[in-house]
Amino acid sequence: MRPFLFSKSSAINQALAKKNGTTQYIAGGTNLVDLMKKHIAEPESLVDITSALPAKIEVTAKGIQIGAMVRNTPLANDAIILAKYPLIAKAVLAGASPQIRNMASTGGNLLQRTRCPYFYDVTTPCNKRKAGSGCSAIPGENRMSAIVGYSDQCIAVHPSDLCVALAALDASVKVQDKSGKTQSIAFTDFHRLPGTTPERDNNLPANALIHSIEINENAFAKNCAYVKVRDRDSYAFALVSVAAALNLKDNQIVEARLASGGVAHKPWRWLEAEQYLKGKTANAATFEAAADIAIKDLRAQSHNGFKIPMLKGAIETALQQCLNR
Amino acid sequence: MKQEYNFSRRFFLKTSSALGALAFIPKGVKAFYEEVKNFIVPKKEQLPLTVSINKKSYAIKADTRTTLLDLLREDLNLTGAKKGCDHGQCGACTVHIDGERALSCLTLAAMVPGKEVTTIEGLANGDKLHPMQEAFIECDGFQCGYCTPGQIMSAVACVKEGHTKSVAEIKEFMSGNLCRCGAYNGIVESIQKVAAK
Amino acid sequence: MGFFDEPFDLMTPPEGRVEGVAKVTGSGKYAAEYKVNGLCHAVLVGSTIAAGTILNINTSNAKQVAGVLGVITHLEKPVVPGMADEEKIKEARFGLPVFHTDKVYFKGQPIALVIAETLEDATYAASLVSAEYREDAKTVDFNGTLGFVSLTPAGKDRGDITALNSAAHSIEAEYNIKAEVHNPMEMHATIAEWTADDKLKLFDKNQGVNNVQRTFAKLFNIPVNHIEVISEFVGGGFGSGLRVWPHALACIMAAKLVKRPVKLMLTRPQMFYSVGYRPASWQKIKLGANADGKFIGIHHQAKNGTSVYENFNEGITRVTRLIYNFDNLKAEAATVPLNLSTPTWMRGPGDCTGDFAIESAIDELSYKLNIDPVALRMKNLALEKNPETGLPWSTNYINECIEKGAQMISWKDRKAAHSQNIEGDWNIGYGMAVGAWNAGRGNASAGIQMQKDGSITVQTAMTDIGTGTGISMQNIAHETTGISKSKIKIELGNSNLPPAPSQGGSNGLSSIGGAVVAAVNALKLKLAEHAALQNEAYKNVAAADILLSDKGISLKTANSQFFISYASLWEKNKLGILEVEASSGPGAERQKYAFCSSAAHFCKVRVNRKTGKVKIERLVTVSDGGKIISEKAAANQMSGAAVGGIGMALMEEQATDERLGTLVGNDFAGYHFPVNADAPIIEVAFINKPDPNINPQGSKGLGEVGIIGTAAAIANAIYNATGKRLRDLPITPDKVLLG
Repeated sequence: MRPFLFSKSSAINQALAKKNGTTQYIAGGTNLVDLMKKHIAEPESLVDITSALPAKIEVTAKGIQIGAMVRNTPLANDAIILAKYPLIAKAVLAGASPQIRNMASTGGNLLQRTRCPYFYDVTTPCNKRKAGSGCSAIPGENRMSAIVGYSDQCIAVHPSDLCVALAALDASVKVQDKSGKTQSIAFTDFHRLPGTTPERDNNLPANALIHSIEINENAFAKNCAYVKVRDRDSYAFALVSVAAALNLKDNQIVEARLASGGVAHKPWRWLEAEQYLKGKTANAATFEAAADIAIKDLRAQSHNGFKIPMLKGAIETALQQCLNR
Repeated sequence: MKQEYNFSRRFFLKTSSALGALAFIPKGVKAFYEEVKNFIVPKKEQLPLTVSINKKSYAIKADTRTTLLDLLREDLNLTGAKKGCDHGQCGACTVHIDGERALSCLTLAAMVPGKEVTTIEGLANGDKLHPMQEAFIECDGFQCGYCTPGQIMSAVACVKEGHTKSVAEIKEFMSGNLCRCGAYNGIVESIQKVAAK
Repeated sequence: MGFFDEPFDLMTPPEGRVEGVAKVTGSGKYAAEYKVNGLCHAVLVGSTIAAGTILNINTSNAKQVAGVLGVITHLEKPVVPGMADEEKIKEARFGLPVFHTDKVYFKGQPIALVIAETLEDATYAASLVSAEYREDAKTVDFNGTLGFVSLTPAGKDRGDITALNSAAHSIEAEYNIKAEVHNPMEMHATIAEWTADDKLKLFDKNQGVNNVQRTFAKLFNIPVNHIEVISEFVGGGFGSGLRVWPHALACIMAAKLVKRPVKLMLTRPQMFYSVGYRPASWQKIKLGANADGKFIGIHHQAKNGTSVYENFNEGITRVTRLIYNFDNLKAEAATVPLNLSTPTWMRGPGDCTGDFAIESAIDELSYKLNIDPVALRMKNLALEKNPETGLPWSTNYINECIEKGAQMISWKDRKAAHSQNIEGDWNIGYGMAVGAWNAGRGNASAGIQMQKDGSITVQTAMTDIGTGTGISMQNIAHETTGISKSKIKIELGNSNLPPAPSQGGSNGLSSIGGAVVAAVNALKLKLAEHAALQNEAYKNVAAADILLSDKGISLKTANSQFFISYASLWEKNKLGILEVEASSGPGAERQKYAFCSSAAHFCKVRVNRKTGKVKIERLVTVSDGGKIISEKAAANQMSGAAVGGIGMALMEEQATDERLGTLVGNDFAGYHFPVNADAPIIEVAFINKPDPNINPQGSKGLGEVGIIGTAAAIANAIYNATGKRLRDLPITPDKVLLG
């Protein structure tokens, strides 16, 4: 690691006052310490914000608010989450390991960086790590890369599982800036597509920190599922993952949510497929038709054509699992 | 198992010329090193810290870059926590922080003050082994032993968390601890044994 | 420094391995964990290109980092006499002449070493070293390059394989396996200390301390006994510790340069190109049988990757000559030079690779013949003699392994046709395969020290890399002396102890077991010699007639009146610590018999049709390893090997990038091997019949056969489940889905 100054802030405004171009904030550290060891993140000053951010899950008038400092394990074990937003718990438990989930924060989960192997290898070109250096994955080993929403600059995917569930549930990200002002960013607008600026992962304003995540009450608690296909059974990033949620009346789909990880630079919503599912009978044929809609315009890389049929299968499986509860 | 040594330069030249058509020089590599020139070397920062490990307090001065794992292994001679990857990908460095299992390789020492760290060295009660340590011996839950302290710290937490209802649940909640010897049979059996008590 | 010298002497730990307490309390010291005064840290800098010449190295930024003590490059380095010139380098047979060449042969090749007061300083300073290169053409693409290399015969032909043309049924297919990396959990590490100008002390991770000792004695031109190598605890090897690698030399050079003890631990990414790996391979098999399933012959062709600076032939076709009766056999092989580091032996080297192809082909043939795969194998096993040498097997119970395994997994539940067993989105299938390994034995020595209280310490230089060498030595010593296990200490992994071969090739216990028996016999004779002064009956007795116990010595032939207690023996003879040392090794039996270990693997899988996910539901492994000396440790070996086999079959793959000449994903996020959840509880059984000829204890090595055949059993089960014949490893979900 590059040498750095270390300080601790006990309040969010105090932490924000320290924000400048060479400062970084550490909460769980499960990604940042890793990035610092790899010389990908080289802050001159590091601020410990574990005591500065809200660490509670609170019921609000509209739904629920999850503090940015709520760690993954308590999030997945929370009684309200399990009762009303179980998709969150399912997604969290599909990710990382118990140790990492004990450490990792909710805010940090949103801000974790891609796991594209070239991003982690500082001897190779990578536009995300060093703008303008080129993308090694496009002509290279791109088995894990994106199949939708990518650009000719970057085909990296976002690694989070939690974020897929949050995208599916139309969560929003509450951020607070230096002046103390808060604003809400729709979850699906929080992460960016790579376009010509792949070095930017998200739209967190430069002078702000994530305060909390808000989710409105919904009718998806009963029928939801998270399916993650990976090379090993646990402790691995997704080849593809699917968060599915159905609001069912008898066997009719009132509303559906469908989102994926491992396919794009951000958690990806399959809006057209969701639209299709609305009003249909929940059965295998409907699910297959929805999956076909989701995959119809996808364009794979040279080594990940398999992701398209795998995604189709994962969507069908997830929708089917929504019924098995 | 035959190993031949061939060291002549001729061999090398011959090999490389046969593959000449495959040449490619990456631009990014050189560009990366351009940046290294004209570099001002930053000074390291040290912090006075008081950390509590196995209920013993240590007043130390630590580099801000020092991880809890390196603090334990390099500075405090507590080498029970192992370095298996140093990047949060194997679990060999698992310790308990305030009673919860955590990875010491991704924890900065500077963030430890005010917390209680328990390492494998602090698990036994004096000369009396922790039941999980006894179970690992009885069930032969290890081979080379290198991942073992991490497995045991994780196993103790796994039981405490209540994730022992089935073999599948134990396996899922122990999957953050890699064992290359593949001693998973004995690890699962050890946990079942302790959980049943 | 023994396993028992821990602060837990007073309690009674549960019965287990001799080093069990040290391992579960974290008190056992692995190479990088010794406390050495004045220790500083070294970090390697790797090349950023795969082939070319170093034109210039910029170390000035690194040297500005406070705490940096020195930097080694090929331009500034301490003298290594054994690498003084190109001739000497060739003679040294060390592999990569680290810091003694401006040539770059692979990406990550060490081009500099930074030594600093702290690990943080050294690591940061190492990141500031940069180099300019002239790049040469390169390739890291095994499959794209193998066509340029021609096959040559691998051993003598048997019969004439044109006989295959008249086979009623035949299979001709190609098999590809990606490179796999040992990745023991402990990263290779060395602490080097020059205790005098010509005396070196090493705490080192390796599988053979005497090999390390010899290698550096030669390189530094100092007597072997001036080098002390301590490797009491070794955090896994799987073959990666059988050679001495450049980083260890680099560490010793650093200690010379800064005149202080230096520690160097490889990083996990460095582990992928610094200590060998199982090379990528290609195979082609043509296999034929007559209508009733009798094999007519086999044509086995194989190529494996190697580096451009050494030629490593994995020996893939060796196993083809071992298991079955093939009257007609032709084997050919070649190595494919690539700009990668040199591969090396990895668990079940060669045989594991070759066996996958053979056992897959036999399975495929069984469907064509419409003969059960178990029956087809039973019909063709070479049960009487080694088909290559013609020597009769000393023992070979591979048929019993198959029978027992079939019973354990309930093979009768398997559907003869594929895709017949379906539950929802899951297809269920059964598969099996066998493996065998030439059972070896080397010359080894062991020492015993006996105290007046009758306690003994059994010693050897051999390392215990997790295989259970220590507890097996204790068991053998207990069996042969009658002394209680609690009074038998084991010391190993130290070059000051009696020399022994490296722990590898499933030869460890086979070799050291004989040495322990020999040392016990020597102890008995020595005690008898002293006893003879008290009682003439002990004069010139044979070791076999001497009985020992916790209390004293007696004679088998006489009644207990001849009993002499150790206490009185020690007193009368004024003894201190009684020491004996003895050696043992293979002999004439090797000319009379052939020796092999064998195993049968059975697997039940579930395959998800929608996602391609393979779930191993059951894995049964039954092996013939002669007499089982330590049942728990042996079972652990076998189940661990099966887990390794799951990795080989389903996930292990070192990816490369041809354009950049680099490994891709060389860490545990990118390179997957099984986590706990990937493996079922492995079901293990042994035939457990002693081999009367191989060594005194009758045990044959186990470590390799546990993995030889596992991957094929899994691939064959996937075929039975789905009808997809997958011949390329690893079988990741994408391959299942698109297969």
